[in-house]
Amino acid sequence: MAGVSGEPKIRAIIADDEDLSRRLIREYLSGEPDFEIVAEAGNGFDTVKAVAEHRPDLLFLDIQMPKLDGFEVLELIGAEIAVVFVTAFDQYAMRAFDAAAVDYLLKPFDIERFRAALDRVRRASARVAPAAVAALKQAAHAPGQYAPRIVVKDGARVHIVPVSQIDYIEAQDDYVALHSGGKAYLKQQTISGMEASLDPSLFVRVHRSFIVNLERVAKIEPYTKDSRLAILSGGSQVPVSRAGYMRLKELMDSI
Amino acid sequence: MHPLLSNRNNLLLYLMAWAILGCMLGFYLGLAGRLSVGETVCVTVPVVVALAVVCLGAWYPCRVLPPGSTPVWKLIVNHLLAAICCSAIALIVAHVAVVACGGIFPRLSAHMKLAGPLLAGISVLFYLLSVAMHYALLAFESSRRAELLSREAELKALKAQVNPHFLFNSLNSISALTSIDPPKAREMCIRLSEFLRNSLRLGERLSIPFGEELMLAKTYLQVEQIRFGQRLCVREDVDPNCAECQIPPLLIQPLIENAIKHGIATMASGGEIAVKTRRSRDSVRVTIENPYDPEAPAAPRSGFGLLSVRSRLQARFGAAARLDIEIERDRYRVILSLPCQTGREAAKELPWPA
Repeated sequence: MAGVSGEPKIRAIIADDEDLSRRLIREYLSGEPDFEIVAEAGNGFDTVKAVAEHRPDLLFLDIQMPKLDGFEVLELIGAEIAVVFVTAFDQYAMRAFDAAAVDYLLKPFDIERFRAALDRVRRASARVAPAAVAALKQAAHAPGQYAPRIVVKDGARVHIVPVSQIDYIEAQDDYVALHSGGKAYLKQQTISGMEASLDPSLFVRVHRSFIVNLERVAKIEPYTKDSRLAILSGGSQVPVSRAGYMRLKELMDSI
Repeated sequence: MHPLLSNRNNLLLYLMAWAILGCMLGFYLGLAGRLSVGETVCVTVPVVVALAVVCLGAWYPCRVLPPGSTPVWKLIVNHLLAAICCSAIALIVAHVAVVACGGIFPRLSAHMKLAGPLLAGISVLFYLLSVAMHYALLAFESSRRAELLSREAELKALKAQVNPHFLFNSLNSISALTSIDPPKAREMCIRLSEFLRNSLRLGERLSIPFGEELMLAKTYLQVEQIRFGQRLCVREDVDPNCAECQIPPLLIQPLIENAIKHGIATMASGGEIAVKTRRSRDSVRVTIENPYDPEAPAAPRSGFGLLSVRSRLQARFGAAARLDIEIERDRYRVILSLPCQTGREAAKELPWPA
């Protein structure tokens, strides 16, 4: 049983940009012998770094933080950690928290509520599922709005790729490669998942393995009998399937 | 009060229009009566002055006879009768002028007999033109008033709104402070209460002195400074001469709120908010500057702050007020300039009672 001395402790990281908020959680946790704080972080970058370094069991995560917000942090750290959101009231995300996180604490919260969250963590085999992360990200944006940027982890580094600067996206096994200004960023996601998170009036799935930024398309040339080739303004060439061409044409005609 | 008489610019425009009409009238009278230039001037000037005054009178019948709800025959009869009176007045004035100038221009009386019918006709026409103009003016005024009223109603609904995020975050800070630093917790309670009380009190009013608005923003900053600790610095450079200018309430505080939410809160190590106010002879200029992270994750924008400030500025001051935003790499600057109205002037700008 957790909590009995000799058992490994549940190792936690507190991520919140407000010092007072972190201190409150630290104070509440000080009465819990089976929990141990291994690190604190005051912004999104530091949180991702601390998680990579300490591999904690539990993350207390604020949503609004400098550098990266809580959702982006969640996307980058993978699904191996129990997450408890700690945030002020946010009506959009509330429902999504239910689905994705072990628990969520609405500021301000008392110690009973905090202990209830810890109980859920102790019992939790529940980890954040990747699908739930996607749902959470979508819920964080109002309907009709799409994330303006994509975060990509590259070893210990984090790249922030503004969506408007993406030329095209290519599926590569379990990853997608985001091509932007001659550079490619690998992100662990399916191309369908990627397609769903992008604004459909700007990005078109032109091929089973390719999504293209409509604003980059300079011209379209015939290639084989059934397929075409999109030439992008940067010079890159992207294959366009017959179905992809129909989608592309429909979108371009509607402009 | 007649709208043309209560505004100097409008009155000037009206007089200019009459100067042109006067030249036309003189030209045609001269043509019809074969008047000399001197004779024309002698008759036309007093007639035009009289017409300009009498035509202003159309305002009153126009106001009591709204075109939508008055029977057409009543409109026609009323305005036509008034137009005939107007024409009679013009003829009487012309006659008086002819008699008065008889010594200088002995043949004027005979000449004017030729031009008399023309003068009568043109006077009727001028009066009816003035009726049309007054109806247009009334329609314009009433649409402006409706817009003002609806804006004020909208504002009333928005005013009482304190950002719930701010409230919950502040309460959380107090909750943390109760065990870490109880005196500070108490101080924050008091500052927060002060802010809430004042924003409710000031929000109810249509117009408050600039100094009070600045105090409200200051209290807000004090609360946030406890929450953000070292991350939030404030530099104030306040011109005491601005204090008595009247402004709509909650104009500065939302801008400070934005500077924190989209500025300081996006910086890992925080930064400084600089508030500067300057008074020139009849205007106030407020500059709020803060650092921000251009690559920060977009904080949820309610869009309420800036939009509401802008529309309320416009409702109150029209083109006389400006809200400019300057972005320089990682610095964000909001510049607000508005006319400084004190006491009585400000009261005049308020929407009319319905």
